[in-house]
Amino acid sequence: MKIPRFSRKTLCIPYAVFLLFFVLVPMLVILLFAFTDDAMHLSFENFIKFFSDPTKLSTIVYSLVIALVTTVVALLIAYPVAYILAQSKIKRKYVILMLFVLPMWINFVLRVNAIRELFNLISQVEGLDGLANANYFKTIFGMVYDFLPFMILPLYTTMMKIDKSLYEASADLGAGGFTTFARVTLPLSMPGIMSGVTMVFLPSMTNYVVSDMLGNAKVTIIGKFIYTYFGNDWHMGSMIALVLLVVVFLSTWLTGGFKADETVRGTNL
Amino acid sequence: MNLKRISSVLLASCLLLPTLGLLAGCSDEEVTVLKIYNWEEYIDDGGEGSYLYDLALEEGVPEDEIEAPRIIDDFELWYEETYGEKVEVSYSTFGTNEDMYNELKLGNVYDLLCPSDYMIMKLANETKEDGSPYLVQYDESFFDPSVETNYYIRNVSPYIQQQFETNAGLDTPAGEPKWNEYAAGYMWGTTGFVYNPGYVNAEDLEKSGWQTFVDPAYKGKITAKDNVRDTYFAALGLTFEGEKDGLSQLRERFSAGELSQEEYTKAITKIFNATDDETIAKVEPRLMDIKENIYSFETDTGKADMVNGTIWLNYAWSGDAVYALDEAETPDFDENGEPIEGSELLLNYYVPEAGTNLWFDGWVMMSDVVERGTKQAAQAFVNFMSRPDNAMRNSYYIGYTSVIAGENGEMLDYVDWLYGNGEENEEDFYDLSYFFGEETGTAGIYADEEQRTCRQLYAQFPPEEVISRCAVMDYYRKDANDRINELWSRVKAETLDAWAIIVICLVAVAIVLFIVFVKFGGKIDFFRTKPKKGYHRVNK
Repeated sequence: MKIPRFSRKTLCIPYAVFLLFFVLVPMLVILLFAFTDDAMHLSFENFIKFFSDPTKLSTIVYSLVIALVTTVVALLIAYPVAYILAQSKIKRKYVILMLFVLPMWINFVLRVNAIRELFNLISQVEGLDGLANANYFKTIFGMVYDFLPFMILPLYTTMMKIDKSLYEASADLGAGGFTTFARVTLPLSMPGIMSGVTMVFLPSMTNYVVSDMLGNAKVTIIGKFIYTYFGNDWHMGSMIALVLLVVVFLSTWLTGGFKADETVRGTNL
Repeated sequence: MNLKRISSVLLASCLLLPTLGLLAGCSDEEVTVLKIYNWEEYIDDGGEGSYLYDLALEEGVPEDEIEAPRIIDDFELWYEETYGEKVEVSYSTFGTNEDMYNELKLGNVYDLLCPSDYMIMKLANETKEDGSPYLVQYDESFFDPSVETNYYIRNVSPYIQQQFETNAGLDTPAGEPKWNEYAAGYMWGTTGFVYNPGYVNAEDLEKSGWQTFVDPAYKGKITAKDNVRDTYFAALGLTFEGEKDGLSQLRERFSAGELSQEEYTKAITKIFNATDDETIAKVEPRLMDIKENIYSFETDTGKADMVNGTIWLNYAWSGDAVYALDEAETPDFDENGEPIEGSELLLNYYVPEAGTNLWFDGWVMMSDVVERGTKQAAQAFVNFMSRPDNAMRNSYYIGYTSVIAGENGEMLDYVDWLYGNGEENEEDFYDLSYFFGEETGTAGIYADEEQRTCRQLYAQFPPEEVISRCAVMDYYRKDANDRINELWSRVKAETLDAWAIIVICLVAVAIVLFIVFVKFGGKIDFFRTKPKKGYHRVNK
């Protein structure tokens, strides 16, 4: 009996099918719906409507700003953590790292709900009651909390990969602590920063569960819009999704996300 | 040959044998599968806290001996007994009317759906892609009260039946099918405010009516619904309450007898269903005021926030209100199972004087039942759910109000069992005659004042006077739908000034160009500085 032999090509088929039906076809459907009207005739009405509606454009701006603030805050918190962890000589530092990653083992909707309750508790304290209506603050807090591990992990792995002898060389050449950091550590951890930034920035533009639960649904980001429009107008919903896709594509391209040689990105988890 | 291998294969196939038997069993007998698509948590699910369970508990049956099956299991048994055929219910749930509608649009097929009034209207008026209608009407025999098993028509409250007929007549433009012809009622109710009497005074509420939403006294302590229909409705109430010929004036004229019930209902229905540009322009700033004043837009966090004291007022559907009231008054228990003193909280329910929404969820059959041969089973399901004891089970479990009154007023005994105070004081009489189609003053229960005016009884079985000032919501037709959606986006999101958008766009473009320049500038000759004399550039 002849044993069927699988070449590498045949092993690719399942992935190709998956990509086709769950990535490519849905995108084409979005494209189709974005440029058609209810009777499924070609129409640019939604396109024009979108770009002439200050509310939708403002929402894109708001989402970008919220995502940007989230990313910056997450980076400011994550960078020292990753740096200290990578530098320190303590044993079992993976335990500390694990503590940061641990929350990811629980579904984030549950965690966001828990934060919501925490904020409710805190805002009952005299003097802190302003917190109840600090919707933007709470939203950004929730997003930073949610995405922090995605920032720490790539930074940590990149920094671990930096050859320790480079620091010695830098010291030998007379560089102080700050100069070493600025001229050796920072440039070499750039791929990690880029990777972390993409992994935090892009999803926070659409993470409307957080803005609904912590922002009391008074903070509206573009993801929520897509959701609401898909309730009764798929065509406009698709148009918004398409615009978002373009924005995401642009920012990934600009930060160099499509380069194949960057092994750091995404693969280090 | 390897004996071990053969025997293991044999053993493995032995394990498969029972499955084969099962498969054979299936093909022997055709089982009708009835596909039901209902709201989440909208049916008796048996077990602890269900009607049968609590009833048995009251009779003193020990906890571990109580059997409280799911109502769907009971239906399957009942159907086989009554019709001599097997039916299997495939039950799935949805979270919003829009989710359900999307599922249907995608071509999913069910037998029975349980959408709300406006969605029934929408489905009744629309057709599928292939032009066939979504819904099919009930058989004429379904409405024949002489058949023993036609529980629906025998038990449905004549008043509710007539209310919806009147309202459907008001809403439906000539030529469109009347939506109530497609539906058999399931649950109904009103919308209003759940409030915490510890912070909110009932008299203040009565004074401010819909203005409660923008009352600075409740800033950050009140919630609105996170869907455009309910919040737009509330904003309409807010806008037109005090207007000339608005809701309050209409109500006065109605109370003074200047308007008949029909004229009055017609007038407020018109106000509460206005979607023209002028109305939207008027309502928009009021919606903004609401947003400014409320704590949150919510769909299901309101109940918990009420109970834990984060908010004082929650705009809610009556059934959710009953649930919140029940939940809040149940004390917490300490580790010994003893109730903790002071952990219970009494909440109240209030319906704005100027009129509110009367809503209704009903069973409709998709036209596919004919082809699938499930029409009989679908109608039987509706009938089974309408048997008074089953209506009680569902109503008890979910807190909403069933449309069923019972042919001998069975529901009245149930209401009495739930809310009656066991005394027969003249002044404690709560008149529900309208619901049971009896003459005023003949059907009702004796209940405490709180129950009669602001607690569960009032929320679940509002007095006739409350319903007389209610309006049913229509669905938004195509143009109106677009306008309302745009309005809702403007309300929910922040809109920047035009100049700000332009500036931001320019800055964004500048940043993009800058990055492009940094990344690729070196590769374009135009940007390159000329090499020093004697050097030449080496391209990688």
